[in-house]
Amino acid sequence: MSETILEVSNLVKRYGDLVAVNNISFSVHRQEIFGILGPNGAGKTSTLEMIETLRSIDGGEVFLNGLEVHTHAQEVKRLIGVQLQSSSFFDKLNLKELLLLFGEMYGRVVDYHKLLAEVELEDKAKAQVGQLSGGQKQRFSIAAALVNEPLVIFLDEPTTGLDPQARRHLWGVIKRIRAEGKTIVLTTHYMEEAEELCDRVAIMDQGKIIALDRPQELVRHLLAGGFTKERVERLANLEDVFLHLTGHSLRED
Amino acid sequence: MRLKWKIFVASLKMFFRQREAIIWTLLFPLFMITLFGFVQFDGIGKLDLGIANEAGDKGARLIESLKNVKTLKVREGERQAELLELGKGERDLVLVISSDFNAESQGHLTVYFNDARPQEAQLGQLVLQRVFDEITFAQNPSPNRLMVDAVPVKSRNLTYIDFLLPGVLSMSIMQMGIFGVAFSFVSLKKRGILRRLWVTPIKPSDFILGQVAMRLIVVLVQISIIIGVGMLFFHLHFIGSFLELFLVGLMGAIVFLSIGFALAGISKSEDQVAPFANVISLPMMLLSGIFFSRSNLPGVIHTITDFFPLTYLADAMRSIAIDGATLPQVGPQLLGLGVWCLISCTLAVKVFRWE
Repeated sequence: MSETILEVSNLVKRYGDLVAVNNISFSVHRQEIFGILGPNGAGKTSTLEMIETLRSIDGGEVFLNGLEVHTHAQEVKRLIGVQLQSSSFFDKLNLKELLLLFGEMYGRVVDYHKLLAEVELEDKAKAQVGQLSGGQKQRFSIAAALVNEPLVIFLDEPTTGLDPQARRHLWGVIKRIRAEGKTIVLTTHYMEEAEELCDRVAIMDQGKIIALDRPQELVRHLLAGGFTKERVERLANLEDVFLHLTGHSLRED
Repeated sequence: MRLKWKIFVASLKMFFRQREAIIWTLLFPLFMITLFGFVQFDGIGKLDLGIANEAGDKGARLIESLKNVKTLKVREGERQAELLELGKGERDLVLVISSDFNAESQGHLTVYFNDARPQEAQLGQLVLQRVFDEITFAQNPSPNRLMVDAVPVKSRNLTYIDFLLPGVLSMSIMQMGIFGVAFSFVSLKKRGILRRLWVTPIKPSDFILGQVAMRLIVVLVQISIIIGVGMLFFHLHFIGSFLELFLVGLMGAIVFLSIGFALAGISKSEDQVAPFANVISLPMMLLSGIFFSRSNLPGVIHTITDFFPLTYLADAMRSIAIDGATLPQVGPQLLGLGVWCLISCTLAVKVFRWE
C-alpha cells in the first residue's frame, strides 16, 4: 500500500505494576484514517499520548515521518495536531483569540476564519468555548489541532458524548480533512463510527492489539470462521428510527 | 520573544475578563479600607471633657478657651448627667464651674476624673491647669514668669487610613499571588488545559513567564488604583515615590507568586489548595500589622511576626507611602523580602509539577 507516516514498534507503557500498553506494533499510512478501538482501559489513550510526546515511553519506538518521537519531541510536535480527550481551552478568550494564540505557539499567524469555516463555526468567532455545545466544542478542538497544518492529526474519542446528529456531522468534518491530504489517527468505542470512517482499525484489549485490518476484512474473517448472529439482521435499528424521526440536522444553536 | 508577548497579552485579557479577579484584586481591598475607615480610631488620643457650667456667662469665656484646646473634646451638660457619663466611661474628665465662679478672683474649680484611667486624668489636669494659668496670667502679667517657647514643627496629622491602606494593599498583593496563582493553575492542570499546551512546541517557561509578567502588571495596577483612590477619597497622606512603591510591591509579588506556584505544584484540585492557602495567608493577614499595629503582640509572637514576608512588605510599603522613606531606608525589609524571594522561588521550582 502507500507510504508509511507513523511506525509504532514494540511500544510499552507501565504504571507501576500495571502494563497499560503491552508491546504493540502498527503502522499508519499517509492520508489514511486509522482507528484504534477498544473498551475503556484498553490502553488507547496511553498509546496516543506516547505518540503525541505527552507521555514517556517505557519500551519500544515510535517514528513519525521518519523522526523518533522521544528524541525529536520538539520537531514531532510541529508535525502533529492533537485533540485530547476531555481537555479544555482557556475560559475567557474567544475562538478567534484562541486560534491566533495557538498559531503563535507554532510561530504562525493563522487564518482563523478559514479554520473556523473548515469546522463550520465561522459565526462563532467571538464566542467563548464555554458557550459552545458539545459538538461545537469538539469541532473547535479539531480546528485548534489544525492551526499548524499538521501531517498527522490525533483525535481521542472525538464523538463521545455527542448526539447522533452531532456525531454524523463530525464524521463529515473528519472525512473532509482527510480529503485535504491529512492523516488521521482516532480512537473510539463506537463500532459504527469505525466502520463508517476508518480505512483500517486496530482493536485493543488489555494493552494488546488483538486484531488489525480493514473493517470489511475483519467482518469477512469473522464470518469465514462460521460466525452467525443469533437473529437475522434487521433492516433498520433504533438509531435509524431516531434519525428518521428527528432528522439529520444539527440541534446545537 | 513574540510568543512571550502574545501569551502575556492573552493572559492579561483573560485576567481582566474575569469578574471575580476585579472583585478580589480591586474592589475587595477598597471595601476593606472603606469598612475599617469608618471605624473612627481617630478619636483616640483626644480627651473627653464634660463641662457642667453653673455660672452662666461668667463661665462662658473659660469654656471658649477650653474648646480651643485641640487635645480636648468638649461637651457641655448638667452636672448630674455629666457625672453619670463619667461613671459610664464616656468622659475622661468632668469640670464643674460652680455658680460662685469668678474669673477675676482666685478660686477653685472642681474636676472629677475617671479613676480607672489615671493617664488621661493626669494629662487632663495638666491641660486644664495650663489653660487656667494662661487666663490668670492674662489678668495679672508678671514679668519674671518662666516661659516655655514652643516651636511649631510642621507635622502631618496621620490617620488610621494612613496606617491601614498600605497594609491592605500589601495584603491584596499577597492574596493575588497565593490564591490567584494557586487556584488558576490548579484549574488549568485539572481541566487538561496545560496538557493541550504541551502538545504544541511552546516552552513551559514561556508560558510561566507570560503569566508572571501579567500578574506583576496587575500588581502595578492594584498599587496605582488603591493609592489613587486613597488620595482622592480617603485623604491618604501619600508623600512617597510611586516608583519605589512599585519596586517593593513587585518584590513582594514575586514572593507570593512563588508561594502560589508551589501550592499549585503540590495540589491536584482546588479542594486541596484552599486549606494550604488559608493556613499560610490567615496568620499573616492577622499578625503582620495590616489592620492593627504589631506593637501590642506578646514578645515571642512579635518576634516571629518580624520575619513574616507580609510584615516586611507592609512595613516597607507603609514607610515609603506615608513616611516618604527611600529604598535604602527600607533596606532591612528589602533584605527580608529578598531572602523570602530566594526561599519561595527555590521551593516553587522544586515542587512544581505539571501533571
